[in-house]
Amino acid sequence: MILNRCAHESEVAQWLEHGGWPAVCPAELQAHVNACRSCGDLVLVTESFQRARAEAASTARISTPSALWWRAQLRRRQAAVERIGKPLLGAQIFALVICLLVGFGLLASQAQQGIAWLKELPQTGVYTLTALWSSTLLDSNWTLMVLIPAAVTLALLGGTVVYLASEKL
Amino acid sequence: MKEPQPMQGESVLPKVLAGDAPLAATPPMDSDAFAGFYQRSARPLWAYLARVSGDPALADDLMQESYVRFLCSAWPETHNGEGEVAARRYLFRIATNLLRDHWRRPRPASIEELPEEFFAASDRSAQADSQAVLGPALAVMRPRERQLLWLAHAEDYSHREIAEITGLASASIRLLLFRARRKIASLLREQAARSGRES
Repeated sequence: MILNRCAHESEVAQWLEHGGWPAVCPAELQAHVNACRSCGDLVLVTESFQRARAEAASTARISTPSALWWRAQLRRRQAAVERIGKPLLGAQIFALVICLLVGFGLLASQAQQGIAWLKELPQTGVYTLTALWSSTLLDSNWTLMVLIPAAVTLALLGGTVVYLASEKL
Repeated sequence: MKEPQPMQGESVLPKVLAGDAPLAATPPMDSDAFAGFYQRSARPLWAYLARVSGDPALADDLMQESYVRFLCSAWPETHNGEGEVAARRYLFRIATNLLRDHWRRPRPASIEELPEEFFAASDRSAQADSQAVLGPALAVMRPRERQLLWLAHAEDYSHREIAEITGLASASIRLLLFRARRKIASLLREQAARSGRES
């Protein structure tokens, strides 16, 4: 598209901008605008938009600035809290990962002993639950070795899960 | 010997939560200065949003969001010396981006999903005189053309300022604006001729 920009366009724009159009504008310029399509478009469009702006501005529904001010303050504060909370979340995730690793390590170490014990079970001749329970109770060292770490792991994992759940709530 | 400093979160978090915090960034302007700026700029901004979007309810929402984002941004701190004209230009830039995001969002698929305000807005906009003349012509224009025309002819922004607000290249503004002006002028003339014949 060829830009047919008229040489008088900036002059017309200035008259429109300063509110002198058409009352105090020279008659020659008015005659030019009537004949020139580019300047005619400029006047028509600018006048339409200026009227629309004045009318829309007078009917605008404006809320109070203080409400917006406080809303912005709250959003800034929330953003600051989120920024500070990021390292805390990282620490929580780190703690959970460590707990899980310890738990799995303990299970893996105990599983080896458990499998060995199960292999030995048919040779011991203990087949009823009561006899089995009494036989394990006899080996108090072995029982404590399993129960204490299991209880500690459960407590740690449970505590972490409860803490994370309460954080989310 | 240096005393041990408390951890950052330890010292800042309680203050932030309590509300008397030195936040990461201090507010860009105090509430009185903002109130003055708001009184002078809110009506033109609302007019821009309402006429370019064609939806006064949307204009209400976007205007509030524009001011909140303006206050939350770091711009007023870094450009404090540039004055209110530059601040207003930045505000229009935020509003323009919000409008663009709104237009990019997927539209409701069926008429049932359209909000009540959508219909009410159309009715209200037809009431005003200037809107009755400009409204139908603006409705035919593309959103980008409506923005450019409003910024140039209602807000009297220069091509460079429009480029800054819209994010378009300054060189292309002139051509885009020329085309849009020619198009809307033809529509306005057609409309005037049609209403002249009818009367």
